[in-house]
Amino acid sequence: MRRADGEVILLWTLPAVGVIWLSAFLLFPGFVQPMSPTLSAEEVAAFYRDPENLPRIRYSMIVFNWFAVGLIPVLALIVMQIRRMAHRTPIFSYAIIACAAGGPTIFLMADLFWLLAAFRPMRDPQQTLMFNDLAWVTFSSQVGFLIAQSVILALAIYLDRQERPVFRPWVAHSNLVVAALLAPAAFVGLALEGPLAWDGLLSFWVRNLAVGLWIVVMGFVLGRAIYRQRSAEELAA
Amino acid sequence: MSALLRRIAWHWRYDEKRELWIGWWTLVVFYNLYGLLFFVVARTQPPPKPSLEPSEIVQWFDDRHYGLLFGYAIVFIVGGATAIMNATLAYTMRRMSVSRAFAYSYLVIYALATLPGMLIMGVACTVGAMRPDRDPELMSWLYDFAFLSFEGTMGVFLIGSLVWMVAVLLDRNRVFPKWFGYLNLCNALTEVVVAPAWIFKRGAFAWDGAIAWWINMAVFVTYTAVFLTLLRRMILREDFGSGPLPDLPR
Repeated sequence: MRRADGEVILLWTLPAVGVIWLSAFLLFPGFVQPMSPTLSAEEVAAFYRDPENLPRIRYSMIVFNWFAVGLIPVLALIVMQIRRMAHRTPIFSYAIIACAAGGPTIFLMADLFWLLAAFRPMRDPQQTLMFNDLAWVTFSSQVGFLIAQSVILALAIYLDRQERPVFRPWVAHSNLVVAALLAPAAFVGLALEGPLAWDGLLSFWVRNLAVGLWIVVMGFVLGRAIYRQRSAEELAA
Repeated sequence: MSALLRRIAWHWRYDEKRELWIGWWTLVVFYNLYGLLFFVVARTQPPPKPSLEPSEIVQWFDDRHYGLLFGYAIVFIVGGATAIMNATLAYTMRRMSVSRAFAYSYLVIYALATLPGMLIMGVACTVGAMRPDRDPELMSWLYDFAFLSFEGTMGVFLIGSLVWMVAVLLDRNRVFPKWFGYLNLCNALTEVVVAPAWIFKRGAFAWDGAIAWWINMAVFVTYTAVFLTLLRRMILREDFGSGPLPDLPR
């Protein structure tokens, strides 16, 4: 019996965090039918003042505040797998650690702006509108670390030259596809209507589905790599 | 063009140092790209006056509406490249004879530095530009948020440079010359003299001033050009051992 190193526990936090994120996402009234950026300041203020919405806004964002960093242990597991790859330097694993530190911090900023808007809904509507804009723009446009982590992971996989590579090449290809799907959301400020607007096809639906797709694919291949590593080690012992 | 592609393909296949070269080229390409985006596309550098009236600030946002929205969108897409850049710089400390704690400290400090270093500014400028009819008082707050987060966040660069300085000065593996350690001190000091930008709205110490901006930018550009050159030489000298690096091959 090998000693428990805890990696399997960290791996199985992923489905739990996934369910919590999805529930918080559905609880926030501005996501199910994404809020339009064309709403006037008074309409945005009314959204936060609505007694139906206000508790849902607060509770969903409190849950996101708790679990926004929930993906970091999984990124750390990916770092552990990159360290097993046939590289000459630890540059790729360092780079994923850097992404893991930067990405969730940005998401927490968006979360703070939403919670601030909801804290005093009777504020001047212009101020509520600004906090709402800051929240949505931060949430939608900040795809940089997600793109970087996909591209770096793809590079690491392509350069993992050994007989049995840690991840198959298709994992690298799909990471590049995810990176490409995330990119248009960075242009969210350019339009209040249409596919680039923060409630639009590219900036909202494609971007968020790409994040979901990445979590599912990486969770699956990571789990397979960890279990394969364990059985290989047991066989060798 | 095809000769260049063939060369890249060769390095991709056979060059033992490809991970280091990927890091170095990312540093070179993205420092230039960030310079282009901040100075030419978004035109937020050199910085405007902190003393503008709210109505002038509205005009400032209006004058560069698409530049801000488009320029910062590109910054948002490529901003994560800093991860591989900082990882490469952290590796220089890993190659030194000092504890790995130096590399790890540098890596995490600079990972967080990306937010105040450029992303918060980008968000504030995007929000300011996307609604030109916003209340001018709030536009003025967004303007301050943008420039003070960018120039007034000092600790990450201060401590980051000092970590690198101490590592270079203690190192026995000859990764960088000792004088580069002291150049890190110059860069760290720019973060000290920029602090009055939180207090002054006019003059040499304001965020657009001769000291807080121009001298600091000159030091930063010199510092960056120097470490890119030294890093390139280090990669050429790298033998993937753990002892002193050999001299540059002739």
